[in-house]
Amino acid sequence: MQRFISFRDFDWVLLAFVLLISAVGVVEIYSATLHTKFVGAHIRQIYWIMAGLVLMLVISRISYQTLLEAVPWMYVISIVSLLSVLLFGQKYLGARRWIRIGGATHFQPSEWVKLILILAMAKYFAEYRQREMSFFDLVKAGSVVGVPMLLVLAQPDMGTALTYLPIAVMALFLGGMKGKHAAAIVLSLAMVAIPAWKFGLKQYQKDRLTVFLNPDSDPQHKGYQVNQSLIAVGSGGIWGKGTTQGTQTQGLFLPVPHTDFIFAAFSEEHGFVGALGILLLYFMVLMRLIQNAQTAPDRAGAFVVMGVVAVLLFHILVNVGMVVGFMPVTGIPLPLMSYGGSSVLFTFLALGIVMNVRMRRFVN
Amino acid sequence: MASNSSSGNATKRLYILGAILCFWVTIVGLRLVQLQIFQYGQFERRAMKQQQRTTEISPSRGVIYDRNGHELAMSIMGNSVFSVPSEVPDRSTTASLIARILKADPREIEKTFDCPRNVCPVVRKIDPGLGSRIAALNLRGIYVQPEPKRYYPKGELASHLLGYVGMEDEGLAGLEYAYDSKLKGKKGTIVISMDARKRRFDSAEKDPVPGENLVLTIDEKIQYIAERELEQAMQDTHAEAGTVVVQNPHTGEILALANRPTFNPNVSRKITPAELKNHAVSDVFEPGSVFKIVTYSAALEEGLETPDSPIDCQGGLIVVNGLRIHDLHKMGTVPVSEALAKSSDVAAVKVGLKLGDDRFYRYIRSYGFGSQTGIELPGETRGLAKPVSKWSKVSIDAMSIGQEIGVTPLQLVSMVSTIANDGIYLPPRIIAGATKPTAGPQTIAFHPASGHRVVSTMTAAEMKKMMEGVVLFGTAKRAILDGYSSAGKTGTAQKVDPATHRYSQTKYVASFVGFAPVNNPAVTILVSLDSPFGLHQGGQVSAPVFRRVAQQVLAYLRIPHDVEMRDPKRLLLQAKAKDEDLNDNSPDHVGAPLDFDEDAKADAAASQVAKAEPTGATVLKPASQTIVNTRPDLNTLASASPPAPSAPTGALPPNGTVVLDVSDGAVVPSFLGKSMRSVIETAQTEGIEVDAFGSGLAREQSPPPGARMPAGRRVAVRFGR
Repeated sequence: MQRFISFRDFDWVLLAFVLLISAVGVVEIYSATLHTKFVGAHIRQIYWIMAGLVLMLVISRISYQTLLEAVPWMYVISIVSLLSVLLFGQKYLGARRWIRIGGATHFQPSEWVKLILILAMAKYFAEYRQREMSFFDLVKAGSVVGVPMLLVLAQPDMGTALTYLPIAVMALFLGGMKGKHAAAIVLSLAMVAIPAWKFGLKQYQKDRLTVFLNPDSDPQHKGYQVNQSLIAVGSGGIWGKGTTQGTQTQGLFLPVPHTDFIFAAFSEEHGFVGALGILLLYFMVLMRLIQNAQTAPDRAGAFVVMGVVAVLLFHILVNVGMVVGFMPVTGIPLPLMSYGGSSVLFTFLALGIVMNVRMRRFVN
Repeated sequence: MASNSSSGNATKRLYILGAILCFWVTIVGLRLVQLQIFQYGQFERRAMKQQQRTTEISPSRGVIYDRNGHELAMSIMGNSVFSVPSEVPDRSTTASLIARILKADPREIEKTFDCPRNVCPVVRKIDPGLGSRIAALNLRGIYVQPEPKRYYPKGELASHLLGYVGMEDEGLAGLEYAYDSKLKGKKGTIVISMDARKRRFDSAEKDPVPGENLVLTIDEKIQYIAERELEQAMQDTHAEAGTVVVQNPHTGEILALANRPTFNPNVSRKITPAELKNHAVSDVFEPGSVFKIVTYSAALEEGLETPDSPIDCQGGLIVVNGLRIHDLHKMGTVPVSEALAKSSDVAAVKVGLKLGDDRFYRYIRSYGFGSQTGIELPGETRGLAKPVSKWSKVSIDAMSIGQEIGVTPLQLVSMVSTIANDGIYLPPRIIAGATKPTAGPQTIAFHPASGHRVVSTMTAAEMKKMMEGVVLFGTAKRAILDGYSSAGKTGTAQKVDPATHRYSQTKYVASFVGFAPVNNPAVTILVSLDSPFGLHQGGQVSAPVFRRVAQQVLAYLRIPHDVEMRDPKRLLLQAKAKDEDLNDNSPDHVGAPLDFDEDAKADAAASQVAKAEPTGATVLKPASQTIVNTRPDLNTLASASPPAPSAPTGALPPNGTVVLDVSDGAVVPSFLGKSMRSVIETAQTEGIEVDAFGSGLAREQSPPPGARMPAGRRVAVRFGR
């Protein structure tokens, strides 16, 4: 079987788009960190990208079938690691998210759980083929995603917890969920959400989720980030102010311009033309992934690829939506562009699995 | 790939997903269009607003020079003190420290910290010495910045022309106002870019562009002469207001324009509207007999009269359309020239009637009455010259003797200059030109505005001769000069009392407009005194001012004498003027000459001639005798100080220093060798007022350094290169 696997079948077009976005990201990180204590982060980002590429190659060699077989074990390990974070994790900014693994290196298990959930969902929905999806299937799939989600919420890390949701939604959607089931879920979620909103969330959390609707209500505090982001994007104009010339970015008005708000920084310095260009690149990447899902050798492979699509799409949607004032500010980075080891390694690993599936499309 | 129904379903759902993706990209794309294209400007401004702090730098305002390059208005460097109240740690201590240096009330200083802005002005444009002392205190939150300050080195000189500026150096009156956009220059800016932590990371500077300089046609020395003589006349006559205008009749250039009451533009806070009024351009008054020049010159031009043709003054009374017009000086048939010299109203009315309404009106307008002269000063009025259609039957009679018409002193002087300029009217001008900010004083070629001919050279020559007769044999013997021939016309007009709309019995406008020397006039001079107390006739109060101004100005301009010095005949004539006052028989009289017959009253009322007091033959008060007697020097002044161009001894000779008495008082500092700016700045700190002459470095001063000087005296400093 091994001899049928060739890097000729590697998705070079996809890789080209991915590397292009990453390169743009590196330049923007350089520009955005020029006057901050993070200066030089773009070099570290390059290292992360290189590490990600290696990881991508490695993971593409191991057949996704093998990975799928190991899913139950990996799932158990992720639950344990999430529990251990809650118990022994490093507390930083009011949340326990990281486990310290020697020196200054920190490990954030919640990031990797995403990948395992993608595989778990694919395995689960690949197993039944002919029969209709029952309500019991729904509940089972829901709890597979729900348990780790609750653990992450408890850290508390709402942003990451929310990224688990699209994995389940995508799997259910492609698994052939019935319309009435979907309606039932939406209805029950709403019934949970309303009391949860009223009693479960603290005021600052509510404010954070709603201030984007009217950022000028409190431009100096709660609305500050959204406001600064909008000013950055809007003042970029058609052509932008140029690399390292964005006054919002360089003047530290824009919060975390090299991570969560990198799209705002990019839009300011490269304008409408640049921003639209990046959006189209992401669009190409996602369409390419969907195409890969269509040509996947089996149902499990397609589900794996679509799981990756779900996570990336969710990230891009929420991050860009946040920058342009469509969505509340949640700490969700923009894949491939935002600075950060976990994010880069996860994205390349996920893409590695996609490559893995693609390279095996003629095998079966 | 599995080929079953659910897989086909999955493919369909993938397409749905693709569509959702397209939809999302479109939505976000449209949002970017909204933010980055349509709302770009708004976000750009918001970005600027939070990132940039713009500080304006005042440009240096242009200098106003007189025709010889002497500074009349200039900008010197002052200091302004600002506070950033949020940075001031202890307000009352800070305030009291500043107050001690400024010798001000600490509470007043403390109040300035309460302004609603980030930066509050504490005190603006103070002396740089005080500013540096405040800066030396090194108080937190207190900043001292240089700021140019307008300074008028000659104080009140030509203040009505120059005007004054406000705290922001904005022109508020006079040329400062009219030429504000030229003088003020362009503000510079310092744009400081700041990051979110208020640290500056970039700054861009745009230098201010200094304003252009103005060069006036005014001659500082002639202006000084005019001002001083007007001031003297104000004291002598106790007039409410007065104007002296000196014009070069050949170019229309205004050489001097003085008004009283006046103000010091350096102390702009204290200026009252009455002081600010530029009577020469904004006063409308009935000119009275001066206007007869228009009547007579028009008649000569039209060939209706010659200077020698006889005219019957009818024993001093004429009744036209029921209007009775009297002459005080009753005459029979005399030559036209004598009728003018003696200012016969009867003769003037008869000449006017000969002209007829339309022709007379055409000359009135041609001489520039009823329209603005176009002088570059603000607030000029057109005067009042009704079109013929609005005239009543008696209008021409009234206008022939200068009533029922409103003129400004400037229109009047331009009219007389037309005669002096051989019949060509030139509009008066006061701006010679503008020079580049860096140019410094320089000579400017003045190009007279285009004029037009009103009367022929012949008529003008005849009028000159007749007007010389007014001086020599008529109502203006006090305008006889020593060593120069002169010509002119007196006028005394009753003021209309604004309360009753009737002619006042006590308030007159006494004027004299003349030129000298007669054959080639160098200057036309108008003197107009509003409501002089006591003696009030043009020939009595205004003609002597003309004589004193003309005598000095001609000497200053080094105009060659055209008659003999101390000519006994002229001195005799001059002396006669005094006698005529004693005789209480001066014929220059327009006071209430218009009297109505009973049956004509309704008609006259309809014509809106606002007058008709009972005939008052006793317009001259007995008191006038006493006044003349108490001031004998007034009449002997000219002969007592015979001016000669070679060695003038006037108070302001062209090449000497003003000599002032030295007595006890403050010690005069030495200004010698200093530049004008440093002289002025030194004088300011010492509390001494300085009269500066010339330009360059101080060469002479009076009183000399170390001398004692009584408070209020001014130090004259002469500059030379």
